[in-house]
Amino acid sequence: MNLENSATQTTDTRRKPMGMLSVRVLALLFVVFLAAPAVLGEFWVEVATEILILGLFAMSFNLIYGYMGQISFGHAAFFGLGAYATAMLFREFTGGTEEISYLQFFVSLAAGIPLAAFGALLVGYFCIRLTGIYFAILTLAFGELLFFVVFSWYSFTGGDDGIQRLLPPPLFRDPVMYYYLCFVIVIAAMAVMWRIVHSPFGYLLRAMRDNQERTRFLGINTRIYMLINFVIAGSFAGLAGALWGPFTRSVAPTLLGWQESGIAVFMTLLGGSAFFAGPMVGSIIYTFLHAWVTGFTQYWPLTIGAIILIIVLFSPGGLLGAIDAWRRIRTRQGSSGVADNTLVKEEPDS
Amino acid sequence: MELDLNLVLSQLLAGVSRAMVLFLLASGLSLIFGVMNILNFAHATMWLLGGYITFSLYEGMGGEGPLLLMIAIIGGTIVMAALGALTERFLIRRMYDRELPEQLLLTFALLLIVGDIIKIIWGVEDRSVYLDIEALEVGGTFINPYYFVIIAVGIAVAAGLWWFLQKTRYGRIVRAAVYNRDMVSALGIRIPLIYMGVFALGVAIAGFAAGVFLPLMPMALGVDIDLIVQCFAVVVIGGFGSILGTFVGSLLVGVVYAFSILIWPDGALAVVFLIVVAVLMWRPWGLFGTELRY
Repeated sequence: MNLENSATQTTDTRRKPMGMLSVRVLALLFVVFLAAPAVLGEFWVEVATEILILGLFAMSFNLIYGYMGQISFGHAAFFGLGAYATAMLFREFTGGTEEISYLQFFVSLAAGIPLAAFGALLVGYFCIRLTGIYFAILTLAFGELLFFVVFSWYSFTGGDDGIQRLLPPPLFRDPVMYYYLCFVIVIAAMAVMWRIVHSPFGYLLRAMRDNQERTRFLGINTRIYMLINFVIAGSFAGLAGALWGPFTRSVAPTLLGWQESGIAVFMTLLGGSAFFAGPMVGSIIYTFLHAWVTGFTQYWPLTIGAIILIIVLFSPGGLLGAIDAWRRIRTRQGSSGVADNTLVKEEPDS
Repeated sequence: MELDLNLVLSQLLAGVSRAMVLFLLASGLSLIFGVMNILNFAHATMWLLGGYITFSLYEGMGGEGPLLLMIAIIGGTIVMAALGALTERFLIRRMYDRELPEQLLLTFALLLIVGDIIKIIWGVEDRSVYLDIEALEVGGTFINPYYFVIIAVGIAVAAGLWWFLQKTRYGRIVRAAVYNRDMVSALGIRIPLIYMGVFALGVAIAGFAAGVFLPLMPMALGVDIDLIVQCFAVVVIGGFGSILGTFVGSLLVGVVYAFSILIWPDGALAVVFLIVVAVLMWRPWGLFGTELRY
């Protein structure tokens, strides 16, 4: 009678995370991002900050998508909640003076996490009852619901005007300093995330992704773990949102909207959802392309749409997936006549 | 609060005619999902494209009179059916054995691409057709009689779809394919052709709906996004694959939307989403869907 798992029962070997590739990519990214401001101008430092923040947002989305196997079209709700929590505390602390102490600044940033976590708990409580397409639509519906609440609650959230003039304290007004602040926070968040996905809990998520019914047969309460993961993912999204407000100096209701959710989905797909570092790599591609392409054409949706179309049709594993497949083919050449499809079914090398 | 009967009447009409466009869109969406398990994010964008094409055909023929509009609507429907068939043949067909998120992303990419193509061809101005119809006076309020045309068209399409699915040989094949495509295939029926036909039919209905609505509802960029989200609401409420459920779901969403816009203008959609959330919690397979399909 209960067919809710039919969508998750297929074992997709393409999506098994490959630890080693991620470690190498992460090490490379660490060095590149650490040194980036030394060679980049102010505009590109700001693009790099955007890459870090949205990359963290996309990685939090991938906890649900890549690791738990459910697609959420409302993840930006928690990004937006985090951003609004920070912005509203900012508004309280500054009281219109544009001055904020360092302590108050960090308290505001931290406030994004609990509010987003609380929102994720509320929304997740309902969403984890469903899987597959119904999970996708329900997250979309909840995301839009929260969007409309923020959008139309003028007295509290500022409605569609949003909240402006979120000036960080003097030191972090410098783009390079704010970049390094984000760098440190994002690295710390990624370390925690790495720990989570390589813990027994993380492997449980993968088990639920590959076969939820069988995981239940093992005596595991899958709904509780789905909810916990939903809240964890929401919290990281909230942290990313908290960093976003002071970065752009403003927040708007569109941060909660489904277009923003779409950004996380796109980034994850571009980089490769099977890899820990995938969403961050995707964020680099997406944000860089966005900054570059919108410089000379207004047809950004067409551009990103065409890219997504090509990736979905020809390289569903994303960039890291393509690199990984190429590495495997190269290392096995000569040893076996049949090259491609059988190779991806190997166990991950970490 | 004193209820203004005229206001209620005109909102009801607006709501029901809005329900008709939702139904025409959602029935195609639901049919495609029921048969092929593909959720077409780009469905409302294709509706929009159909509207612009019908508009251009109408203008190209001189742009006057209901007769020319009818011809333009038929032309637009045929063009959209052809585009739908091509989309299925060259894009959707590659996705049948893929995972759900990849299928969603493909149609999402289509939404972005088609939306921008419309922008390139027709620009950012709204397009609508002006028909010289005298307003009808009903108990003190003036009502555009075209509302009744739209409601009639909606009911006619609903009845036609029902007849097609229940009474014709092809309809039976389509319904059989919903339940067991392997068996249908084993009976010597060419499943790919059925799939292409269903997708073309769904997109054609969308194109037709856009044409019919041209005199009432201007084609504008971004409308498709609002509509597709509401169509999801309709199909979830009514249940995927049920024509009756889609019809009832459309009426519910259309009328609730029309009335909540009076009370909470910015949050009319939020009310719709509240209903969706409630239905998904209580009966995830929808009011008229069967548990089996869920």
